[in-house]
Amino acid sequence: MKKDFYEMTYILNPVLEEEKFSEIVSYVNKLIEDNNGEIVEVDEWGVKKLAYDIDKKSTGYYVNLYFNAPPEAIEVIERNMRIHDDIMRYLTLKYDSKMLRHYELKTKGELPVFFEEEEGEEKTEDDD
Amino acid sequence: MINNPSHPKKGNLKSKDCKFTKAGFEYIDYKQTDILERFINDQGKILPRRVTGTSAKHQRQLSAAVKRARFLALIPYVTENLR
Repeated sequence: MKKDFYEMTYILNPVLEEEKFSEIVSYVNKLIEDNNGEIVEVDEWGVKKLAYDIDKKSTGYYVNLYFNAPPEAIEVIERNMRIHDDIMRYLTLKYDSKMLRHYELKTKGELPVFFEEEEGEEKTEDDD
Repeated sequence: MINNPSHPKKGNLKSKDCKFTKAGFEYIDYKQTDILERFINDQGKILPRRVTGTSAKHQRQLSAAVKRARFLALIPYVTENLR
């Protein structure tokens, strides 16, 4: 079966107990596995402040994960996540070859370093 | 232009190198918000290419990355003062 590599980030309602977080994380992982997907990596960022309020909440519990799955599975997974009350937001990205190379570099810790020679914030530095 | 002391024609030309090309970026990750924040102004708007010198290719990727980050509340859509 053809499988693609996906990345997903979702935000959980922060007003939950610790064990509820891991419960939902394993629920999502199981959801993916039940649809012939394989989890590659799960990274829980924990409670972070949101840049703007979502559903009147100013913080959220972020989970970032990578998985392989057949394309048909995504629809099912997203439908279930949309229904789930405690998942406030989710974003699924399908990885193309460039993004895959980026991911490989990232796992190896060899991401290109973004260096900066002192940067002003003024927008007056036009160059044309 | 005459009265603007920081106009590029008055010797205020900054490097027009694309910083992403220079660093060898192939994909701009929406999770690297520290980088994205350098390319938005204090209202949270994406800075134009003519200001930052980003290449067309990377500007397109950058705008996609910023929009993804905004959706996930990593950076704001609008704000009075970001920094």
